[in-house]
Amino acid sequence: MNVLTAQTTGRATVQTVGRRLGHWVSMLLLLVASLATLLPATGAMASGGVAIPKQNWSFAGMFGTFDNAALKRGAQVAVQSCMTCHSIKYIKFDQLRQFGVSEQEVKTWAESQGRTKKDAMLSGMEAAAAKEAFGVVPPDLSLITKARKGYEDYVFGILTGYASAADVALAQRVMADGKVSGEEAKEVASQLQLDLRHPDKMGEVLKRIVAGENFNRYFPGHFFAMPAPLSDGAVVYSDGTENSRNQLARDVVTFLAWAAEPTQMERKSLGIKVLLYLFVLTIMLYAVKRRIWAKVH
Amino acid sequence: MSKIMEWVDARLPVTALLKSQATEYPTPKNLNYWWNFGSLALFVLIIMIATGLFLAMHYKADANQSFDVVEHIMRDVNYGWLLRYLHANGASFFFMVVYIHILRGMYYGSYRKPREILWWFGIIIFFMMMATAFMGYVLPWGQMSYWGAAVITNLMSAIPIIGEDLVVWIWGGFSVGDPTLNRFFALHFLLPLVIFGVVMVHMWALHAVHSNNPVGIDVHEGKDTIPFHPYYTIKDLYGAGVFLIFFCAVVFYAPNFFLEPDNYIPANPMQTPAHIVPEWYFLPFYAILRSIDFLGSFSKLAGVIAMGGAIAILFILPFLDRSPVRSFRYRPLSKQLFWIFVVDCFVLGWVGYNPADAAIFDGALPLIIVGRTGTALYFGYFFLLWVITAFDIEKHTPVPKSI
Repeated sequence: MNVLTAQTTGRATVQTVGRRLGHWVSMLLLLVASLATLLPATGAMASGGVAIPKQNWSFAGMFGTFDNAALKRGAQVAVQSCMTCHSIKYIKFDQLRQFGVSEQEVKTWAESQGRTKKDAMLSGMEAAAAKEAFGVVPPDLSLITKARKGYEDYVFGILTGYASAADVALAQRVMADGKVSGEEAKEVASQLQLDLRHPDKMGEVLKRIVAGENFNRYFPGHFFAMPAPLSDGAVVYSDGTENSRNQLARDVVTFLAWAAEPTQMERKSLGIKVLLYLFVLTIMLYAVKRRIWAKVH
Repeated sequence: MSKIMEWVDARLPVTALLKSQATEYPTPKNLNYWWNFGSLALFVLIIMIATGLFLAMHYKADANQSFDVVEHIMRDVNYGWLLRYLHANGASFFFMVVYIHILRGMYYGSYRKPREILWWFGIIIFFMMMATAFMGYVLPWGQMSYWGAAVITNLMSAIPIIGEDLVVWIWGGFSVGDPTLNRFFALHFLLPLVIFGVVMVHMWALHAVHSNNPVGIDVHEGKDTIPFHPYYTIKDLYGAGVFLIFFCAVVFYAPNFFLEPDNYIPANPMQTPAHIVPEWYFLPFYAILRSIDFLGSFSKLAGVIAMGGAIAILFILPFLDRSPVRSFRYRPLSKQLFWIFVVDCFVLGWVGYNPADAAIFDGALPLIIVGRTGTALYFGYFFLLWVITAFDIEKHTPVPKSI
């Protein structure tokens, strides 16, 4: 607005132009500096993990919604697979009916963990027994998609990032002669997403894969207390959806995203109304502001 | 109606106060939009106190319950998720608004005579905000809550002689624990009300000396001023509308953007997170703290002093700046220093965000070097501002005689 008045009254002197230019240069500097904050810094800590592939989630974004069928399938995977060891303590079995799990199914699933449908989704496995078996108490999954960098993508990456039969075969082939050659290192780095800059560590990793430890390409540090939880056909869907490992993972991550914040759809739908209201209000306030200030300008 | 007001005014002159301090309060007519951020800060403070009050009605400070209680608020309390997201993101937006407010004061010389006391109360508010935000972040009792509290309170142990005992006294035990959480909650509830009181003093000081303006010269009342109402009431309302759009966009569509994922993991004293990082608004100061690592056993104390000094130095800014001109608009050197300072704050923030042992350019440039340089530049701003103004190095451009 200042620019407009300055031009119309012919007061746009070289000085003010210069000043504006100075402003823009400064703003540009600011922008560069803020972009620099996105620059990845590598450190001892940062080298452990790898970039996690982005997934498309139906519930992401402003207008995203949950697919009830996927939620139901995901809940089934959670109950029949994850809950062997993990709890989802902030959700009660009964809440699963919100997206169409039948009362009978809820009852059966609850009983499978020795609970009733009014109980929280606690694993049938005792914490002490879990610690005995895995060395750690498996974390509660209620907030897992919010509690890890990478969010849903990270959890999906973990579930699908374990060493496949082909990965193990590669490790065995490379380590047959006990060392990693330059050519082999490149192959291993691309297939297992290991850091090429640390070739010395690569041999160690491969040795542990051959020894049958739980390798996961997306876990910082790569070796995990949890054995691969999902495999093709691990859970049988009643709606006939294919039950590949990736599909199971996709469904259960969808369910866990819901469990992490069951109010999120309420949040999104209210948000649109709030923002629309604010847009209209602000435009009106601006119009009134122009009108009132017309006397001054 | 007017009869009632007459009755009241005879006993408490409300109308006269409103007239002199609001409806007819003379305000320079040339204030730009950077002047919106003062009233905006008050607006956010009110949002924080209001949402915080309702959150407190559902919250319990208890090392065994707080994490669950926050989830209870998120899941079971009607609009509890909204209250919490407004409050958690409100803290971030509060700092954004206040940082812009402070930088505006620095750019246009609003700290200069006769506004020194006004400026000092502003810094006191800023300092209390930092304490309040820090203690508020501890309340959800997640991993970052716990370890952030542990790291920051531990800094006190650097104080000679009494340090170790002081930390135990603050903790109420031999580590951060339930007593710490309880007292932080009590203080987190109290401090915003104290801040509100100091804000009133800040405004009292403002209304005693009146607003500075972009030109930075004293204004002639009447010719150069307009009544606060309706001109600035409507401008501030419009600004608040724009602010709310940004704020609500984050609250409703990216509510965890400013939050660390680690804080959704319950506090675990037995497991240190790989990378403890404070909230973004503390990062530049955190970087300054860590950049002093070359003084052996004195590093910690020196770092704490440098971090405190980074804020404390603002107190003497009115005396460091000796220029005859307030506004940097007419001060080419000061203006350049100012923008270097702003960029430097971003760089320090970025250094603070990264692990202490990180490096860029494939390890060629350790971030600690960037951090030390940034710290030097930060304090360099204040020193150079004094040098160029005290020794008449800066030649200011012509200042208009009137706005």
